Amino acid sequence: MVVSLLLALPAAAGLWLLTGARGLDVRPARRTALAAAVGTLVLAVAVVVADSAVDRPWLPELGVRWSFGVDGVSVPLVLLTAAVGVLVAGHAWVEVPAGGSPATFLGCLLLVEAGALATFTARDAVLFFVAFEVVLVPMWLLISRYGDGHDPRARTGAAQRFVLYTAVGSTVMLVGILLLVARAGTSDLVALAAARGSGLGGAGFAVALLLVVGLAVKVPVFPLHTWLPPAHTTAPTAGSVLLAAVLLKMGTYGLVRLPVSVTPDGVATLAPALAVAGTVGILWGGLVCLVERDLKRLVAYSSVAHMGFVVLALATGSETGLQAALYGNVAHGAVSALLFVLVGGLKQRWGSVDLAVRRPALRETSPRLGFLLLLGLAASLGLPGLAGFWGEWLALYAAWVPAGDRPRVVFVTCAVLAAVGAALAAAYALRVAGIVWAGDRPDPEAARTPDTTGPERWVLGVLAVAVVALGVAPMVLLTTTGDAVARIVGAR
Amino acid sequence: MTPWVLVGVPALAALVGLAVRADDRVARFAAVAPGGFTLLVAVVGWAEADGSTLTEGPGLRAGALAVPLDLVLDPTRAALATVVVLVALAVQVYSTWYLATDDRYGQFAATVSLFTAAMLLVVLSADLVLTLVGWEVMGWCSYLLVGHWSRRPFARRAALKAFLVTRVADVGVVLAFVGLAAGATSTSIPDVVSAWVQPTDCIDAALGQGLYPSEAFAACSAPDGRLRAVLLVLLVVGVLGKSAQVPFQDWLADAMEGPTPASALIHAATMVAAGTVVLGSLYPALADSPTARWVLGVAVSVTMLFAALLAFAQSDLKRMLAWSTVSQVAVVLSAVAAAPPEAGPDAGLLHLFAHALFKSLLFLAIGWAALAAGDTAATALRGSAGAAPVLRSAFLVGFLSLAGVPLVVVGGLSKENVLAVSWDGAVGSDGPGVLVLVALVVTSAVTAAYSVRGYLVLTAHVRRAPSAAGVTAAVRAVLWTLAGLTVLGGLVVLTGAFTVEPMSPLWVLLSVLVIGVGVAVALRGGLDRDPAEVLARRLTPAADRGLGADLLYRRLVARPVLRLARVVAFVDTEVVDGYVRAAAVGTRAAGWAGDRLHRGERPSAGVGLVLAAVVLLGLAGVLAWS
Repeated sequence: MVVSLLLALPAAAGLWLLTGARGLDVRPARRTALAAAVGTLVLAVAVVVADSAVDRPWLPELGVRWSFGVDGVSVPLVLLTAAVGVLVAGHAWVEVPAGGSPATFLGCLLLVEAGALATFTARDAVLFFVAFEVVLVPMWLLISRYGDGHDPRARTGAAQRFVLYTAVGSTVMLVGILLLVARAGTSDLVALAAARGSGLGGAGFAVALLLVVGLAVKVPVFPLHTWLPPAHTTAPTAGSVLLAAVLLKMGTYGLVRLPVSVTPDGVATLAPALAVAGTVGILWGGLVCLVERDLKRLVAYSSVAHMGFVVLALATGSETGLQAALYGNVAHGAVSALLFVLVGGLKQRWGSVDLAVRRPALRETSPRLGFLLLLGLAASLGLPGLAGFWGEWLALYAAWVPAGDRPRVVFVTCAVLAAVGAALAAAYALRVAGIVWAGDRPDPEAARTPDTTGPERWVLGVLAVAVVALGVAPMVLLTTTGDAVARIVGAR
Repeated sequence: MTPWVLVGVPALAALVGLAVRADDRVARFAAVAPGGFTLLVAVVGWAEADGSTLTEGPGLRAGALAVPLDLVLDPTRAALATVVVLVALAVQVYSTWYLATDDRYGQFAATVSLFTAAMLLVVLSADLVLTLVGWEVMGWCSYLLVGHWSRRPFARRAALKAFLVTRVADVGVVLAFVGLAAGATSTSIPDVVSAWVQPTDCIDAALGQGLYPSEAFAACSAPDGRLRAVLLVLLVVGVLGKSAQVPFQDWLADAMEGPTPASALIHAATMVAAGTVVLGSLYPALADSPTARWVLGVAVSVTMLFAALLAFAQSDLKRMLAWSTVSQVAVVLSAVAAAPPEAGPDAGLLHLFAHALFKSLLFLAIGWAALAAGDTAATALRGSAGAAPVLRSAFLVGFLSLAGVPLVVVGGLSKENVLAVSWDGAVGSDGPGVLVLVALVVTSAVTAAYSVRGYLVLTAHVRRAPSAAGVTAAVRAVLWTLAGLTVLGGLVVLTGAFTVEPMSPLWVLLSVLVIGVGVAVALRGGLDRDPAEVLARRLTPAADRGLGADLLYRRLVARPVLRLARVVAFVDTEVVDGYVRAAAVGTRAAGWAGDRLHRGERPSAGVGLVLAAVVLLGLAGVLAWS
């Protein structure tokens, strides 16, 4: 029951803001949005604590059920999504981009949140797909209408590319889901995971391939990542945060929930290719970050690298690997949200985030902003004690000892290259720190960058605490996911 | 509980220090008071330490991998922790004076506290993951400390270089830890060591029963020797990076751009010392792998001599001390590489202990002298020790110890021990003992020569003695304490914290002889001239540049990687994204064509459609038939 409320609240509030209250002024609109987001967070905590679930017939002709619930894999993501929802709603006090009514903007944010929550709680494959698609349109609106106002053509292009690219991926996934449901005779994800692909016969591999390719677009896995940088560059700050901290998570979550759980054998066949793609992504993203000039694009490419670690860990098929993937997923949510709020704030202050432009050092003009940027960069390079470390180190470990049916040589090679990729991360993080924080290209004439104050400081503070907490106390998250992961790999 | 207190208090101090950084007075208190408390805890812990006690950590499981996150305290670690805390406290007290007018004193003090916590974590860790945490956090803190004066371009570059060079080498550490942990399915260091050591007795017994070697190895579940060698070599690579050994040596001298207290911390008790501690804790596995010991032995033998020669020829005395650190850490590591397996790493650790004391003394003293003289160049520092009597004593004791004069000071005692174990290693085992021994003897002479040089320059008689303005009594006390400990620190062997064999007087004699040669060479130009000007005038410009290693790093690593990055960025937008754009163009073209067909004349369009259908059907037929 509570879980239905959890989905209904942001969806209803979002739809209301989008339709009936479209003309609402910015003040009442953002108060409404924040109230709805906080309510959603409370409900999310309640769902997690009470382990609430709902299961009733929805489309009886198709055997599709209205079935939502949480387990160890989805709990961290549900909480992450609800928390990020509150933060982006709170961020409306910092910036409401021009391009349309503020109410529509906030409504879109809430709808994305609702769609993501539905994706993370769906226990039915068809329902999962529907929820997965729900986020597309509001996200498209966010990018195309509220995106970077400097270049309308680029904005439209980025928004269309985002929708079409991910829709193509979703279509592939849909074919996979339909094939899966038709062969297995049920769309219940719990039952499908329990069967571990036994009822699929020869179609198991085809299902796995379709699902993996379809979901890989969303993650994104190299070479299907090119929609991400333009989308991030043009999206408004809140949109970027949702994109990185929530939407990308849906891809990895889908990989765990569908192919890895449902067709383990098919995924085992694909695993070497997936591991190589992930590793190439790590190196690729890291290298591009070394020369990229636009800071927002740079953070987007670093996301590609970080998701590479997640994919590599996922491909190993071991319990450790799955744990690493889920950890890396959540950690990346916190770290990239922090970085995007920061970079968005810089863009708001500077007009552009071109690294080639001479600017005064953040360390001198705005020490708080500088400190938070340094923290975000340190987390991004995988510094131990911060969020990024555990996912990456455990991913390397998992790749060193993959599950028994994986080719060891491929995975060990991937582990070595991924470790080199981690050194690349240090190089690009310090490149950014050198230019933006320490002032490698100082301009004494330029205006001082105003330091962070008010709501922005709170948003950044919460994210910074999350980044440190995830790094210092990894056991909390690892124990949460432990049982569910053991069930998925069949260890329990 | 003690180990967690030791790590936790400085970590908390860092957090508090960061929170109160705006107010210098509070920040000072938040830096020094926890340091004093930690020192007390460390000393008590050392006094109580009896055998090795494991303190359980929070622990976590990731699938099959157990990560217990334990800490351990034994007399050796307690002694090392004490010296780390002592040096850190000295640095904190000294910084309250040295950086009194610095607008970012608060950040600096907090970073030093964090640095101390990280080093203590490495010293006390009984878990590879905790070691790695401390190891990397130290690297990050070094970036912040070296780049503290980030308004200076050289400081920014030095900080970047320090972090990047060590981080590149750390790829080895990360992979080695992953591989070693995989062999034990646990990151607990005792488990890892027992999983990777050769069960020699078991194998001998099995061979004695007439089994073939391969069967004996299998029966005793001996680890894969080749994999172990690879992993340990990777670990050694990481240690070489962190300890600034060849080929990663060049970052340390540049790191002199940081404030002097930071240099004292990095050079004396932390960062460069961490590698030895890690190798020491994995020593049993290392002792079984001659390959790794040879790699380590060769690298440190080259380094100790190379760095000693560079130190002698430096025109800047602070950089001279930096190169002497590189050389001395090589001496420390050489003991780990060359000692016979049964001797253990304690000779190296003892020298580490000694080096921490006298090197922090020298750095803090030279920081003061440089402040009085206005620069760190040898010409400017000439006679600057005249500023205060404590400086004169500090330099005397410090350089005596650095030169390794036997029996008088702590450095002498420990260095003779290193010589003795390398000799044992050279005659007794398959390690790189002979090579190390030769390098050690030659290095000792060069070290003595540059120690003489440093002392001569700093205490030369000048007409107008520089004044030491506004030095606090606390700073004098710190220097006197460190100087006293440098003299008396050798007594640490009586506590039994380090297992060292009683030394034969032969080594004392040999040391005196070698040092005498070095001193005699250094004094060829008389007492009034800088020996480097007399002996190595032409080498000095090249030595100041570290023989162009920086250029090599840029040519061989930085530039190719950046070039590759540019190619990748190009391919990303033009090729990988090309098919996406091509899809868009293709769709639009198809739409246009369909539109044209639709509007075109019916008969021709109809013919076109029929033709297309025929072609499609034909293709389908061919495919179905084949």
